[in-house]
Amino acid sequence: MPSAIDHRLSHELARSLLRQLLRRGVEYADVRSEHLLHESLVAEDGRVSSISRSESAGVGIRVLLRGSWGFASTPHLTLASLRRAAAQALELAKAAALLNREPRRLAPVEPVKARHVSRCAIDPFKVPLAKKLDDLLWANQELLGPKVIRHATSHMDFYRRVKRFDSTEGAQIEQRVIESGAGLEIVAQQGGEVQTRSVPNSHHGALAQAGYEYVKGLDLVGGAARAQREVLALLRAQPPRAGETTLVLDPTQVVMQLHESCGHPVELDRALGHELSYAGGSFLTPDRLDQFRYGSPQVTIVADATIPGGVGSFGFDDEGVPAQRVELVREGLFVGYLSSRESAARLGRSSGGAMRAESWSVPPLVRMTNVNLEPGKATRDELLRGIKHGYLLSTNKSWSIDDKRLNFQFTTEIGWEITNGALGGIVKNPLYTGLTPQFWGRCTGVGRREDWQLWGIPNCAKGEPMQLMHVGHGASYARFDGVSVAPAR
Amino acid sequence: MIGAPRLLKTLARVVARSRADATSVCAHASTRRVFRFAYGGIHQDLIQEEVSVTVTVRRGRRVGIATVDTLDPPSLGRCVTTALDLAAHAPTQTDLAPLPPSNRLRTRADYDPRTVGLSAVHAVHAIQRLVHVCRGVGAELAGSLLNGEDELAVATSAGTSCYAASTVAGAKLVTMYRALSGYTSGVARRFNRLDLEVLLERALRQCLHRQDPVTLPLGAYEVILEPEAVAELLDWLGSIAFGAKALQERISFLAGRIGEPLMSRELTVYDDATESKTLRMPFDYEGVPKRRVLLIDRGRAAGVVYDSLYAQRVGASSTGHAMWPGEVEGPLPMHLAIRPGRRAAAELIRRCRRGLLIPRVHYVNGLLNPREALMTGLLREGAFLIEHGKLVAPVTTMRFTQSLLEAFRQVRGISRERRAVADPSSGLGCSLVPTLHLGQFHFTGRSSSNQDTA
Repeated sequence: MPSAIDHRLSHELARSLLRQLLRRGVEYADVRSEHLLHESLVAEDGRVSSISRSESAGVGIRVLLRGSWGFASTPHLTLASLRRAAAQALELAKAAALLNREPRRLAPVEPVKARHVSRCAIDPFKVPLAKKLDDLLWANQELLGPKVIRHATSHMDFYRRVKRFDSTEGAQIEQRVIESGAGLEIVAQQGGEVQTRSVPNSHHGALAQAGYEYVKGLDLVGGAARAQREVLALLRAQPPRAGETTLVLDPTQVVMQLHESCGHPVELDRALGHELSYAGGSFLTPDRLDQFRYGSPQVTIVADATIPGGVGSFGFDDEGVPAQRVELVREGLFVGYLSSRESAARLGRSSGGAMRAESWSVPPLVRMTNVNLEPGKATRDELLRGIKHGYLLSTNKSWSIDDKRLNFQFTTEIGWEITNGALGGIVKNPLYTGLTPQFWGRCTGVGRREDWQLWGIPNCAKGEPMQLMHVGHGASYARFDGVSVAPAR
Repeated sequence: MIGAPRLLKTLARVVARSRADATSVCAHASTRRVFRFAYGGIHQDLIQEEVSVTVTVRRGRRVGIATVDTLDPPSLGRCVTTALDLAAHAPTQTDLAPLPPSNRLRTRADYDPRTVGLSAVHAVHAIQRLVHVCRGVGAELAGSLLNGEDELAVATSAGTSCYAASTVAGAKLVTMYRALSGYTSGVARRFNRLDLEVLLERALRQCLHRQDPVTLPLGAYEVILEPEAVAELLDWLGSIAFGAKALQERISFLAGRIGEPLMSRELTVYDDATESKTLRMPFDYEGVPKRRVLLIDRGRAAGVVYDSLYAQRVGASSTGHAMWPGEVEGPLPMHLAIRPGRRAAAELIRRCRRGLLIPRVHYVNGLLNPREALMTGLLREGAFLIEHGKLVAPVTTMRFTQSLLEAFRQVRGISRERRAVADPSSGLGCSLVPTLHLGQFHFTGRSSSNQDTA
């Protein structure tokens, strides 16, 4: 495949385009060029089922004219195509201005000339394909054996993204990010019972800004043996008892809870009504900022785009705002939003640096970065201590939350019964449900830093056209009292 | 628009350039212009122009797949080289279907130049009129308005050369009045068939009420599911049960039950991408013509959809449901439909003694227990309590947790009217569905505004 260099739009060309746009009267404009290389390897049932590599390159041009936005993109990096895209963006902005009464304003940002490169010890695109396929197949074959195993999948994904950003304010930023991920999924079926186990996480959640060293560290072969053992046990397991009880969630499930019940409702564009025609609004409306008790004092949640390894990390967001660590919930109090320059300006604040676009072809939206539950001090056993009866749940299976992000329901792949502070047998099909502030309000313990894990969600959907974003979440174990649990049946 | 001659010529050159034993090339070019608006302003607008070309090559029984998003000849050349290189390093496949037989097809039947040529100012004026109507009755409006075009082409070394061009227009409207909101969406091949005023009227009807929403006890209710709700649930059934992969892995509730009665005799479900009322798609991503496939025949499990690989495994032939090359989900239905009934939708409401009218469902997840089609999701805009055949009060948001197999055993009525439901901002599929009256749906939770404090 061609190198990223071949397809990058030079800063000189971008600057020339921006000068033309200034002459056309824009208040602001930016030009973002991107080149993405994605390699996907999949093995199923002991054989490689797909080897694919995709490449995407193009330019997105965003203008603010007469107080209104216009955005157009093109994969054709010729001057004529770029000028056409710029003209289309201007045309859209002019048309939108016919309706818009309130001009869009931007919170100020210091324009910088900068370069950011993510950490990567072993470039996954330089690892021989045969070596990667060997590792993939070895883990996949470890999943097979018993007749009740109906399907075994293993996957690896590698991404290399190069972006350039130029703005009329003078920003010139280049960023290079490499991501690597891998995982396994096994499905067993006996009679009417179907059970699934995914390791190390479900929904392709083992994804990091790192090189092949991350995949090696996942120990897929060791994980395969555990996955097989647990999926067989699930076929014979009992479901949980229905009722209110204490839950301990392991980090793989805490991250999904964070994603749906904190990450999305603190997106400021959503809170301002910009997502009403798609996924809905948010109960965390601006009047609740600094006032609303979101959770118990144990709960501190931050959006941190500066953590090495997180797939929500970067040097600068897609408006050229530097990566930040923003407090969202401080000791239970709702104190911050994920925001953009425009949405932050509406609240008279500075941007939280969370504007991200899936690709060159779409405009950035307010997105999660790495939304993390700050660690507490307890070991897992300390969290279990004192629980007369409850469940430890792991690995998300299904997820659903209402359009204000209040009523949620999750199922996990596996659970363990807790009796008098000790872990007991495996339970199948655990389901829990609740209302976001009540649930986090009943958080009675958060695990220690040593057990804190950073995971990725590579398919966070938002916007029209739908954009799938890679976002990160970090968490340790967490304990919640008085949670409604039931078997999923 | 790229056009059939240029796109097919480009693909033919790629096929010719590949020295592989078999080569197939699939291209999708699309343009979308979207306006998103809320509270009297347009907060996002964009023109997205994309093209994606995927080359699949076979060297003996080794396969490589590479994708680029340009028609630029040097990049396509490198894409072929990459696919050949990946194939050279790939292990031998034991399970490989031959390329489908030659198919040659060109169509622009669903292409409307006026839809693509619609000016941005014209689109904004249309939004302006909707905002004006809403403000006139004291309501607020949010939503999106979209138009665009798609070109799909497939060429293979077995002689296939297919091209289809189409246009699309879509709108989503959310109306808000006091504590209530309404929703509707529309999709059509031609912008002038969208009938935005009718859509707006439907959304406003759901929210222009003085009455505050009532909070109902949890439990089982009769439900009238309007087409948008039916389409969402049916899409989930499609992905968990109606594809050959789910059947062969025995995850589908159809596994081991073909021919058995699973749902009400009233219900016939099929996939048909050729029906005139849907957003048609003449061939799949292997260039195989789309066939009508019966999935549930008068309540009995009837079949699933196939691509050439999954068809070969069971000695069947492809039904034209291959997904984009490299996708590992297996063949899936993209144009699900339910056979219409005999009654008017309004009559279904009149025949409901006590139940809920549900225009749409929100955030459905069908992964809870696929063997039982157990799903959860929530009410959103426009849900009403029905008593003795009349809408009596809007209701607050409730969550359902329901086996669809169980729910679809209790069909009390199917409307004769059907509506095409699609989200053209995120795919090429479309459902063609009626309103359904079901005997029982279980509601297991609620989100109440007075409960959102810790």
